[in-house]
Amino acid sequence: MNFRLPTLSIVLFLGIIYFLYTGLDKDPTLIPSPLIGKTVPDFKSTDLISGEDITNKELLGKFYILNVWASWCYGCSLEHNHLMNIYKNNEIDIFGLNYKDEKNSAINWLKERGNPYKNVIVDVNGNIAIDYGVYGAPETFIINEDGVIIYKHVGPIDQSFYNKIILPLMKK
Amino acid sequence: MITEIGNILLCVSAALSLCLFSFIFLKKVINIDNCFHFSKNISLIILISLLSSFLLLSYAFLTDNFSLRYVATNSNLTLENIYKFSAVWGAHEGSILLWVLVLAFWCFSIALFSKHIPKKIIVDMLAIMGILILFFLLFILLTSNPFDRIFPIPLNGNDLNPLLQDPGLIIHPPMLYFGYVGTSVPFAFAVAILINENIKSEWLSWLRKWVMASWMFLTIGISLGSWWAYHELGWGGWWFWDPVENASFMPWLAITALLHSIIVSEKRGIFISWTILLSILTFSLSLLGTFLVRSGILVSVHAFANDPERGLYILVFLTIVIGLSLLLYFVKSSKLITYSNYNISSKEFILLINNLFLTVTTFAILLGTLYPLISSTLDLGKISVGAPYFNFIFSALTLPIVFLMSPAIFSAWKKTNYNHLIKKLGLFFMFSLIITYFFLHFYVDVENFIVFLAIVIAIFTILSSLYKLSQTRILSANLISHIGIGVLIIGITISNYYSSQHEVIMKKGANIAIQEFQIAFNDVKNKVSKNYTSKVGIFDLYDNKDYLISFFPEKRIYNVQKNIMTEAAIHSTLTRDIYVALGEKVNDNSWVVRIYYKPFIQFLWLGAILMILGGFFGIFGNLNLFKKN
Repeated sequence: MNFRLPTLSIVLFLGIIYFLYTGLDKDPTLIPSPLIGKTVPDFKSTDLISGEDITNKELLGKFYILNVWASWCYGCSLEHNHLMNIYKNNEIDIFGLNYKDEKNSAINWLKERGNPYKNVIVDVNGNIAIDYGVYGAPETFIINEDGVIIYKHVGPIDQSFYNKIILPLMKK
Repeated sequence: MITEIGNILLCVSAALSLCLFSFIFLKKVINIDNCFHFSKNISLIILISLLSSFLLLSYAFLTDNFSLRYVATNSNLTLENIYKFSAVWGAHEGSILLWVLVLAFWCFSIALFSKHIPKKIIVDMLAIMGILILFFLLFILLTSNPFDRIFPIPLNGNDLNPLLQDPGLIIHPPMLYFGYVGTSVPFAFAVAILINENIKSEWLSWLRKWVMASWMFLTIGISLGSWWAYHELGWGGWWFWDPVENASFMPWLAITALLHSIIVSEKRGIFISWTILLSILTFSLSLLGTFLVRSGILVSVHAFANDPERGLYILVFLTIVIGLSLLLYFVKSSKLITYSNYNISSKEFILLINNLFLTVTTFAILLGTLYPLISSTLDLGKISVGAPYFNFIFSALTLPIVFLMSPAIFSAWKKTNYNHLIKKLGLFFMFSLIITYFFLHFYVDVENFIVFLAIVIAIFTILSSLYKLSQTRILSANLISHIGIGVLIIGITISNYYSSQHEVIMKKGANIAIQEFQIAFNDVKNKVSKNYTSKVGIFDLYDNKDYLISFFPEKRIYNVQKNIMTEAAIHSTLTRDIYVALGEKVNDNSWVVRIYYKPFIQFLWLGAILMILGGFFGIFGNLNLFKKN
């Protein structure tokens, strides 16, 4: 006992120090996505406004943004103006994934604030969001012509998102 | 001028703390009485000097001296005076200054109340405190100087973080710091003991009061933080297993274990080596807490300063101080005389189990807190451990400890007559079963085994402690705190399992029922205050159609930082809280409203108050009721 306890505490201590040290230069808020570099998962749903069927096949061959949003989501209201600005630039399509929302409140929300989305994919149960590995709304994916997810942002986007993230990715 | 004077005071204190440390070597060449005399005076001067620098910074805040960067980033002309003062410790630089000031306070207190301890131990303890003070002062001077200038001088400041503009937050950090930093006293003691290779039981009874004081302050600090979260955050919760909360809870668990192991070492001369190690561990956890809060390596609601450089400094400091003391322990612990014969049927054995469980709980929480770091370092993916893990671990490990409180109180040192004990406690346990059964039936319908078990154990503890109290007629620290724990557990369990909540969109004029109460949403009005504007909801509370009271939850927008803050409105009675928080505006007529019904949540605060009271008796002596004279 007399020799084991001190040794154990020193080993434990060094282990903890090691993990603390490695944590120092990491950004704890960064959430990696296992789906980056992979093709988008299949889904089948309807469009919020038109009610027509929509699948991931329709989105293939385009460079686009997929924005996960909901009318109950406070962060979404913060980023909405920035999405509208991107929409007005008219260089890239934005698709919405309406996450765990009520149809009427979602439609009213878009009526009040403007609709930046080319299509809004309805995801009432959040099943599609699970396939995309969504943590919560809002989240924004950038997907290239081959249907591969090349970027993911968690939380509301800001003004710099278009210039600093989207444009460089489009030019590649 | 303030910058110069402030820096001079800090430098003088740093130089003096180095002097204080040097007595650990000088005591070999200078007469020990002189050493003690010098050390005591030096620690007094350090305290005065640091207090002056603290007051100087407060003065800068109260006079809106925006030439200091720290004042400019954390104050504002429109801030109320009381918050200008509390803003002194509202951010990183000032709170580290408070840390070191509290450290100097404990350091001088050791020198002041040291009558029964040999002078060479005290001189060594003061030297250890001196080196700790030096490290923190260097930290301030090198990385986080609150007296740094800013140029050009801004006309107005950036305001204090609105989250901190709350009465609870004025005293929460200082109390917590008194507790946190107080763990340096047993640490210094442990190191001094290891250096001198000698220990006596009366020294331990002296140390126990310091540990008790630190425990009491930690308890006050944590409960205030919890109370604040409940009132201010608007989520109806009071504990979130946030890394920073855990950072304060781990030292609390460790110091609770220490408190019990000291008693055993003091009374029976056993576990001494363990007590020493635990003293070192407790202080390590409190430094670790400081590191977690200050480095920002884990995601937390307390997102204070995210500065890897500062984190690195604390980490290096932590490694040196704790590494050296563990090494010292490694070399010297076998030289401390310790008896290790004890009987399974004795108080010391129960206290050993208590220590085992508390230590395991502490490490389980440490593991959960650091898990995101461990998993991302080992490339296991980014995983954080949530409330279910902590809740499970905590209830599984804590309930046995609480259950053991009653046998511990009634058992004797060395050898206990178990038959007698079981007869007596069996009766109490039967009573607790009956009370719990009727209690749960009367208040709630649901029967849940964990809830039943927790309440039985809580009531068992309260009953047996009350009985012991009526026998001895002494309001002693352990009985009062144990009753407090019992009350706390009732509060936690009932409020966790039987709360109901509604998160709804309410139209003005609408009603909503929760339990037997109705809440009517009348209107939302604008209110303009000195440094914020707010939307004030007007709600009426009815108890079966009888009007009880009106509620005014607020949603504040602070002018400078544009932060949105929730002020919940709460109506409390002993057995329930009704809690209303105003959410987002949906349109002109409707708002998102969060309504919570929290039964027995007041027992939480009551339990905490009893524990604090217990700590108070532990420091200043138990209160003898019906004293004859």
